[in-house]
Amino acid sequence: MLDNVLHAAILATTPILLAALGGLINRQAGIVNIGLEAMMLSGALAALIAAHVSGSWEVGLLAAAVAGLISAAPLSILVTRFGANEIVAGLGLNVLIAGLIGYLLSDFYGVSGTLRLMPVPTLPRIDLPFIAGVPVLGAILSGKDVLTWAAWILVPLTALLLTRTRIGLRLRACGSSPATANSVGLSVPNLRDGATLAAGALAGLGGAALSLGLVGLFSEGLTGGRGFIALAAFYFGRNRPWPTAFACILFGFFDAAQIRLQGGGLPPELVQVLPYAVVILALTLASWRRRRGPSPEP
Amino acid sequence: MSDAVPRALEDGLRLAMPFVAALLVGSILLAITGRDPFSTYAELFNEALGGQSRIAATLTAATPLIFTGLATAIAFRAGVFNVGVEGSFYLGGLAAAWVGFAWIGLGGTLQMLAALGFGALVGGLWMLLPGWLRARMDVDEVVTTLMLNFIAIGIALWLVNGPLLAAGSANSATPMVLAEARLPRLIPPSTLNAGFLIGLAALVVYGVWLRLRVGGFENRLVGLNPRFARSVGISVSSVILLAIVLSGVIGGLGGATHALGVVGRFSEGFSPGYGFTGIAVALLGRNRPVGILIGALIFGALTSAGTTVQLFADIPLDLVQVLEGTVMMLAVVEAVRWARRRRAVRAVAP
Repeated sequence: MLDNVLHAAILATTPILLAALGGLINRQAGIVNIGLEAMMLSGALAALIAAHVSGSWEVGLLAAAVAGLISAAPLSILVTRFGANEIVAGLGLNVLIAGLIGYLLSDFYGVSGTLRLMPVPTLPRIDLPFIAGVPVLGAILSGKDVLTWAAWILVPLTALLLTRTRIGLRLRACGSSPATANSVGLSVPNLRDGATLAAGALAGLGGAALSLGLVGLFSEGLTGGRGFIALAAFYFGRNRPWPTAFACILFGFFDAAQIRLQGGGLPPELVQVLPYAVVILALTLASWRRRRGPSPEP
Repeated sequence: MSDAVPRALEDGLRLAMPFVAALLVGSILLAITGRDPFSTYAELFNEALGGQSRIAATLTAATPLIFTGLATAIAFRAGVFNVGVEGSFYLGGLAAAWVGFAWIGLGGTLQMLAALGFGALVGGLWMLLPGWLRARMDVDEVVTTLMLNFIAIGIALWLVNGPLLAAGSANSATPMVLAEARLPRLIPPSTLNAGFLIGLAALVVYGVWLRLRVGGFENRLVGLNPRFARSVGISVSSVILLAIVLSGVIGGLGGATHALGVVGRFSEGFSPGYGFTGIAVALLGRNRPVGILIGALIFGALTSAGTTVQLFADIPLDLVQVLEGTVMMLAVVEAVRWARRRRAVRAVAP
């Protein structure tokens, strides 16, 4: 039972974690990305179609990243070059992409809502010898797909990128003081565009983790608010990679547990709202701590 | 030279630009998929405004957007970015439906008024938490209200699948409300109902409140310059709290009229994002009563026309969503200012 839940929780974490890492890079550069949901959705669809047509999941992943990036582009340009409000533009992108995908699905495939393509090469899962048999550890490490591994390798890499590299420091400068960044000759719009496009690509891969990794099909409700859960995760993790990853695991665990807890305990509709409630709590606590005195953080 | 004409032109351009751009995006999509954009738009226009029954359908579709647009605008005016109207709309609708079917014995108009009032009350109470957090604890309201939407939808789904589920119903819906609780229809057989008039009345009250009442002025002042407002003795946090709760009240009232006027109950998928469309409506209407009405009518026309065009012309209804999303993305673009800045730069460096 525990092994089952752990295994499912880790797999359920992957899409959220990928999108959240993108979102936190974006936020560190000074843009709150509300459009992650749309980028995940287009990534999920592109991955499925490309993998089906080419017969290779690698091509599917590439298509997912590109689709996420392309969906992020209009949002980024409107925010950085045309002074659009990032929240409204992001909400608008979610409506636009959902509509576009629905339109294309019914026009090209004649389906409404759900697209099944056969055959589809799903993401291979890596079974580790020896470890697979160990309780708990085996459930955590073995039988995970490549994107899950990639997502977790990206957590320390993102931390390194943001704190130890030139580009990371520049991105953070754009976020914490755009005027200063500008005055030392950095192009704030360009750097922010880069961060948003990266977020799009990562969220697109998160979508692929759903369509190619978990389900093997596409539906309009496939992402089911995971883009917003990702937003919740990096707000909870205060834009730092490891705390954000911790929040993702927590939310992935809720996700996996909710399917198994039906019948006993909390109703699933209420378990689903837990991540959102946790964020409100976290924001309140952060504000309370801030008001009580100078923050111990840098 | 007088500045008045260019300014009016600028306002008009601001309103028209997102729509023109959205129609352009839509025509590209239509052309790519082998359809004639012009005949499609002509058909949309005809379906939205051709004849009494079509106009009634458009007004019906505009009604929830009047409420959500107004609710958003009230908060925007006070500088509060409330994106949680969707949640108030959901819970207000559920609360009104509950009063409408469960409070047996009130009878007559009282049943309807109680249901409307309770819907508005619940919608307002739902905004108490983010309002208080923003006003007293300085917690960013964008994220809390956004998150509260999902919580509201979850709670409503839970109630409608369990305690409030209609007996013998397979889908997630409450029982139908009593006939006395239904809002009267204006032009039977169309579903246009008194909710539209309530919406218009709310817009009028809002307009008067903005101009005459001290509260409206305070509200605007806090939105424009909170530090100045504080220094002249206005309690900024009370104004903010009041604005966000009022916003919830209007959102809840909108949900209540939708439940009692159109749906006749509360069911899963109660709102296809009226709260979010309301943001676009408020932005396009620049928070002014007439602007909100125009914005709601335009989006209402798109929705009602899109529904029938999908049925008869085999054009996916999603086209409307594409147009709506594009308008939302462009609604806040400072394109005019951008163009002017470009001109200014060019004038300096020829």
